Amino acid sequence: MNWEALDITILGPAFLTGVVVLATHVPLGRKVLERGIIFLDLAVAQMAGLGVIAAHSLGIDAEGAGVQIAAFATAIIGAFALYWIEERWAEVQEAIIGSAFVLAATAAILLLANDPQGGEHLKELLVGQILWSDYSSLGMPIIVSLSVLIAWFVLKAQRNAAAFYGLFAISITVAVQMVGVYLVFASLIIPALGSRSFPEKSKLPAAYGIGAAGYGIGLVLSALLDLPAGPAIVWMLAIVAGTAVFINSQVNQDFE
Amino acid sequence: MHRKATLLLLIGLMLCSFSVHAKLSVFTCEPEWKALAEQIGGDQVSVFSATTAQQDPHHIQARPSLIAKLRRADLLVCTGAELEAGWLPLLLRRARNAKVQPGREGHLMVADHLSLMEKPTRLDRSEGDVHAQGNPHFHLDPRRVLKAAEVLAARLTRIDAENSKSYQERLAGFQQQWNEAIPRWEASAASLHGKSVVVHHREWIYLLDWLGMKRLAALEPKPGVPPSAGHLVGLQSALKENPALAIIRAMKDDSGPSEWLAKRTGVPAVSLPYTVGSTEHADSLQALFDEIVKQLVELKK
Repeated sequence: MNWEALDITILGPAFLTGVVVLATHVPLGRKVLERGIIFLDLAVAQMAGLGVIAAHSLGIDAEGAGVQIAAFATAIIGAFALYWIEERWAEVQEAIIGSAFVLAATAAILLLANDPQGGEHLKELLVGQILWSDYSSLGMPIIVSLSVLIAWFVLKAQRNAAAFYGLFAISITVAVQMVGVYLVFASLIIPALGSRSFPEKSKLPAAYGIGAAGYGIGLVLSALLDLPAGPAIVWMLAIVAGTAVFINSQVNQDFE
Repeated sequence: MHRKATLLLLIGLMLCSFSVHAKLSVFTCEPEWKALAEQIGGDQVSVFSATTAQQDPHHIQARPSLIAKLRRADLLVCTGAELEAGWLPLLLRRARNAKVQPGREGHLMVADHLSLMEKPTRLDRSEGDVHAQGNPHFHLDPRRVLKAAEVLAARLTRIDAENSKSYQERLAGFQQQWNEAIPRWEASAASLHGKSVVVHHREWIYLLDWLGMKRLAALEPKPGVPPSAGHLVGLQSALKENPALAIIRAMKDDSGPSEWLAKRTGVPAVSLPYTVGSTEHADSLQALFDEIVKQLVELKK
C-alpha cells in the first residue's frame, strides 16, 4: 500500500477532469444506448485522435490551436458523415460505424509509421494520461462541457438527431485528449448501462453517481496500489455499475 | 514577546534536528542512476527510481505515486539529453516541487556534465528519434559512469553538506573499485577489438566505442522506428558480404527482427542486459559490466 500518493492535490485535478468528462458523457451515453449505436463513440473518438495525429505529422505545434482545430474538424466531419449514413442506410449503420473506427485507427498507424514515438502516441491516445491534467488546463474543457449541457437540457438539443451528432463530436474531441479513448467509451456507456434498470426518474442521477464513484474509487486504488490511473478507473466504473445493477435487482425483488 | 521568540527558536531547533536525521530523498529516472545514488549516498539517502529495467525510459505510464515521490524529493537524477522529454516536464509540473525544478541544485541531468556521442549535425524529425544533445545511452560506457559518480558526489555534497565526508569517502571507494575494474574488463574484451556487430536500437554505441568495436548496422532504420521488412532484407545481404560477430539487442527490445535476421544469416542474436536489474546477475553497476563483457567474450569463443 502506497499511502503517500493518496493526496488530494495529486488526485484532485484528475477527479475534476473526470467530473467534466462525465457531465456531458452520461446524458450523451444514455442517448447512444437508446439509439443502439454503441460504437459511434469509438469511431468519433478515434477520428478526433486521428486529427491530433495528422496535425502532429504535419508538424503543427502540439500546444497550439491548430491541433484543436484539426481534432474538431475531423471529429465533426466524421460524426456528420455517420449521421448522413443513418438517414440513408440505417440498416447497415452499425457496420459502417465499425468500419469507420477501423479505418481511423489504421490511418493513424500509417501516418505514424515513420515516427519514432509513433507507438507511444497511439497508446497515449487509447489509454490517456488523466493524471497529467491540472486545474489550469481545465478552463476550456469546463466551458465546453457547460455549453454542451445547456444546449442539451435547456435548448432541448437531445430531441434533434443532427444536434446530437454535433454535440457528441464536440464533447468527445475535448474528452479524448484528456482521458483517452478507453475512458471516453467507459464514461459514455458504463454509467448508462448500470442505471438502465433504475426507475425512469432516478436513471440520470444514478448514472452520474456510478460515474463519479467509478472515477473516485479508481483514482484512489491507482494511488494505493501504484497502478496506471486510466485503466484502473475503467475497471472500477465497470465494477461499480455491476454492483449498482445487482443491488437494484435485489431491491426490486424485495418489492415483489 | 520574549517567550514567543524562545518558542520559535525551539521549533526551529526541532525542525533542524529532524532534517539532520531524515534521509535525503533521491528520485531517479532510470535504475542505473538509482544504483549509483545508492552506492555514493549509502545510508544517507533513500532512492526511488521512476522506471525499472524492464521499462523503456523514453516513455512512462502516469501513476499517482510518481507525482507523490517527486514532490517529496530533495534531488532528481536523470540521464537528460531529452531521453525523458516525453514525461519528465509533465511530472515536474504536476509535482510542484521547487527544489527539483530545472536550474536548482536538486535538478541533476547527468548528460549536461559529460561529453556525448552522435550529436546530430542536423535536427529533423524525419531522422527519427534523435536527441539534440547527442545519444543519451552513455551509462553503457564505464568511464562515463565514473565521471557521473564524481558529478553526483559533488551534487550530494552541495545539497547535504553535513554528510559531505561520507559522500566523498564512498566516491573514493567507488573510484578505486572502478579504476581496478575498467582495465580488467578491457583486458578480457581485448579479443573483441575491431569486431563488428549489428545492433537493434542505437543504445550500444558507447559500449562499442569503449571496447573498440564497430557498429555495422542497426535493425531500426532510424532510431526508434521499428525495423521494416525492406530494411531487414537489405541487412541480410549486407551481412553476407561483411559477416558480423553478433546481432545485439537489449532485453526490452522486440526479439522478432534480430531472430529473423539470425536465422537467415547464421550470425548469432544475443540479448544483453541494458541496465542494472535487466538480469538476475546484473544487480549492480559493476555486475552489469561483468555480465555484458562475459556475454560478448563468450560469443568470440
